[in-house]
Amino acid sequence: MSITNKITVKRAEIAVAVILALCSIALMIKSAENRITWNAEENMGAGFLPFYLSLGMLICTILTIIKFVLKRSPQSKDDSPFIDAVAFKFIAVTIISLVVLVLAIGYLGIYFSLIFFLAFYLRYFSEKSIAFITIFAITTPILTFLFFEWMLKIPLPQGVSEPLFYPVYDFMYGGFSFAVKMIFIILTVILPTVLVFLTTRFIK
Amino acid sequence: MSIIKKLALVVVSLSLVAVSSVSSAKPFSPKKPVELIIPAGQGGGADEIARLVQGVIEKNDYASKPVIPINKSGGSGGEAMTYVKKKAGDEHTLIITLNNVLTTPVNQPELGIDFFNDFTPLARLITDTFLVWIATEGKNTAGVETFDDFINLAKGNGLVMGGTGSMSEDELLLGMMRGQFGFDAKYVPYSGGGAVAKGLVGGESDFTLNNPSEQMGFYQSGDSKALVMMTPERNPAFPEVPSSYELGYPDLEYYMMRAFMAPAGIDAEVEKYYTGLLHTVYHDDEFQTFNIDDGKLMSWLEGFGLKDFLAIEYEKHGEIIKNFN
Amino acid sequence: METVGFLLDGIFTSLQWFNLALLIFGCLIGLFVGAMPGLGSVNGVAILIPITFIIPPTAAIIFLAAVYYGAMYGGAISSVMLGIPGASTAVATVFDGRPLAVKGEAMTALTAAAVGSFVGGTVSVILFTLFAPPLAEVALRFNAPETFALMVMAFATFVGLGGDDVPKTIFSILIGLALSTIGLDLITGKPRLIFFNIPGFLHGINFLVLAIGIYGIGEMLWTLEETKGKVQMSKLSVNMKEVGRAFGALKKTIMAMNIGSFLGFFVGILPAAGATPASLMSYGITKQLSKNSKEFGEGVPAGVVAPECANNSASTGSMLPMLTLGIPGSPTTAILLGGMILWGLTPGPLLFTQEPEFVWGLIGSLYIANFFTLVLNIALIPAFLMVLRIPFAILAPVIFVLCVTGGYAPTQSLHDVWLMLLFGFAGYILRKLDYPVAPAVLSIVLGPLAEKALRQSLILSDGSMGIFFDVSEKPIAAVIMYIAIVLLIMPAFGPLYRRLFKKKQTA
Repeated sequence: MSITNKITVKRAEIAVAVILALCSIALMIKSAENRITWNAEENMGAGFLPFYLSLGMLICTILTIIKFVLKRSPQSKDDSPFIDAVAFKFIAVTIISLVVLVLAIGYLGIYFSLIFFLAFYLRYFSEKSIAFITIFAITTPILTFLFFEWMLKIPLPQGVSEPLFYPVYDFMYGGFSFAVKMIFIILTVILPTVLVFLTTRFIK
Repeated sequence: MSIIKKLALVVVSLSLVAVSSVSSAKPFSPKKPVELIIPAGQGGGADEIARLVQGVIEKNDYASKPVIPINKSGGSGGEAMTYVKKKAGDEHTLIITLNNVLTTPVNQPELGIDFFNDFTPLARLITDTFLVWIATEGKNTAGVETFDDFINLAKGNGLVMGGTGSMSEDELLLGMMRGQFGFDAKYVPYSGGGAVAKGLVGGESDFTLNNPSEQMGFYQSGDSKALVMMTPERNPAFPEVPSSYELGYPDLEYYMMRAFMAPAGIDAEVEKYYTGLLHTVYHDDEFQTFNIDDGKLMSWLEGFGLKDFLAIEYEKHGEIIKNFN
Repeated sequence: METVGFLLDGIFTSLQWFNLALLIFGCLIGLFVGAMPGLGSVNGVAILIPITFIIPPTAAIIFLAAVYYGAMYGGAISSVMLGIPGASTAVATVFDGRPLAVKGEAMTALTAAAVGSFVGGTVSVILFTLFAPPLAEVALRFNAPETFALMVMAFATFVGLGGDDVPKTIFSILIGLALSTIGLDLITGKPRLIFFNIPGFLHGINFLVLAIGIYGIGEMLWTLEETKGKVQMSKLSVNMKEVGRAFGALKKTIMAMNIGSFLGFFVGILPAAGATPASLMSYGITKQLSKNSKEFGEGVPAGVVAPECANNSASTGSMLPMLTLGIPGSPTTAILLGGMILWGLTPGPLLFTQEPEFVWGLIGSLYIANFFTLVLNIALIPAFLMVLRIPFAILAPVIFVLCVTGGYAPTQSLHDVWLMLLFGFAGYILRKLDYPVAPAVLSIVLGPLAEKALRQSLILSDGSMGIFFDVSEKPIAAVIMYIAIVLLIMPAFGPLYRRLFKKKQTA
């Protein structure tokens, strides 16, 4: 018996409801750090709304639990697996790779992390050739860089890879003519994109 | 396949060459775009100055890399200050100040911000002042012509004051005036100077303590009028508005400073570069004209003068907050 | 009718070749930026402000208007094609746009969005030209109690949106509202719900973090489970027959266009409301008034037209409080406002009389931008549709990249990317258990506006809720409030009434 068969919709429903109830209680306690009263002398305290909103959340989850116990909700009667084994593997791989990606962004910076993420993800889920994956995994971060840092001037995290980008910035804001920069863009973006198209056509 | 290998080789060797060429000793200049952190939202006074500075630098090529304004408005500047604190030693981060950099470390001690050791003050460019505004046709302030009329009226009646947010400059000022003149008012916080000004003219509040530029539109159209300016002298942009010194209230003096700071722990060389850059911006004609027309005071201050000024202001704000609570 | 003269001048100015080139370029940038999740017109406009120091103010404002309008259209593209609302104004577009795309009718959805936007933009420019000065007066009288009443009405129009499970629907609304209270409390100046003292919570939870999490990450996980990563996102065909069908479907959306255009404009001119509540209310009201309201949410063109029409109409409308009162209704208008001040223009009641060329030039260029974005949009539909041809295994990582960058960009904080992942995962699990997620997104969008207005009003009234119901003191607020209450009660009584009525018939 695999673990995915043991997690039935029924069990998931009650587990989630209990977790949400606990979250609501935590939220109520956290709200109570600010004043939660509202009366004629003092205006509404900062904690009033979050406190009563989370109280409402708690009541809703309790109602869900009651419905579950009375077997009034469709989930309370459902003994089928919450998720099947194949899908579970896909979802788990996706979530773990995303978590690793965000962890890596904090250290390695977004551009290099994306290369590894894309390479891994495409290799795992698609049946594309190594050539395609390589080009795709390198072009996407380049495009991201050009779009965010050059066009929109939104700096994305670079982590330890930051010094590698200094020469690129020197080039971007240096005294090169418009034409030189355009040629650069063509070389870094259009060339690999064309390569991708070619590889999809000719390399299986 | 071999093409890709060759390409990769070229890229790698290029970047190696580039990296090695950077590390030669030269006077500092930014190696990447400089982040200018704004501890307030888009469209406010600090945002306006930050984007003006960005525009002036970009237009005249004053710096080799652009300046990028980034709004971090959370927690009355708390978020921005925590961010800059964490960036200690970073040579590509600046922060423009509102007075919330003086009040937030005191109001939110849990952030652990040490105003004097977490930042490197660079220069003060501008000071902005505050005026007491009423609506020309305000129903509760009818017949008020002078600031003294206003004080007398406010003492008896609970007037409503529109402000930019609790514990912000204008509420502290209200606290100051409460101590000085013995009147209190109901404080309604809005989400920005523009909304405050509109609330006044729309009849929701009876008076406000706005910056000059925030009320400029309604002032010019005659919908609102100023009773006093909290400075020693009159301002050329508001020639008929008396200063608080003229009216005999020299204690009623308050400024909003627009200064720039860098994170702590940067080299003297870097500090010198940014102060020089700001000095160039300060003396730019466009920058000067815009700010003077907008009723701001051009008030360059750097080095020890600035440090003294900040120390005095920090203490003064601490005092105001203490009295307020 | 000298305003018409100024407006025509504005339109002709926009049509000069230099300005026109800028305008088309601006529309394209706007479309692109708007279509990226997490980025919106605010990014486009902010980048361009420094450039506008170099080109003359008229050209600058034309450029900015084009970006603004382009981004409004662009938001719909990502709502339909990726299922991620590109901006808060496009949240309601997801509700029906996405199902249409999944059904293989992306063409219809995109056409409906483009034409709806164009109609909304046109109607609002006409209304603006005819009624701007008197409406400025209305906007001035629209204060905190009125704003709160309007927010209640916006919520009321959405009662029918949730699922069948009442406690789960209410839970979803409440958690959205509760999440929206995180951050600094404007009224008391105190930080609230800063979990574990993480500074990232100080700026609160941006609606985009939740929306990208739920609709981006969550939706991808959902699709991954359904398809096991093997199929294409949807089937589609582009040929002349499809084009004809797409336009044919618009005939049934005339009511949605009317509601969207007029409601959008009037909500848009109200300070602090803006295009987001306008598009949500337009969707809700169209749904309630529609004969086939059951089909809303499963992919009907009217469900795309209503919000798109309203958000474009409202974005023109929201120029009014910005120009006459100096109040920015959105971050974008805040930056535009900053730009105006830098160009030496003073927003305020006098702007219309002192700088008519500027004001009407802006409106004229908005109109031309509207037209060109429509043309560009229709022309580019085949290109957008190519997105759907990309195999899922390749599209999925690209969408994850877009989600990560889109979650990071608005606040420049990795903290928000983590939250987005968390919301995505939680949203996926909750959705599997029949918790509706749309109400949470709606309430995190409207929550902060509603809370602020409520508490400002309560300060003014010394804590009495009577301020919202007093017809003699605050007639506008009271009337809106009563309408809202009727709207709230109606769906509850509707089925009851129908049941009683039916029983009588059968008896």
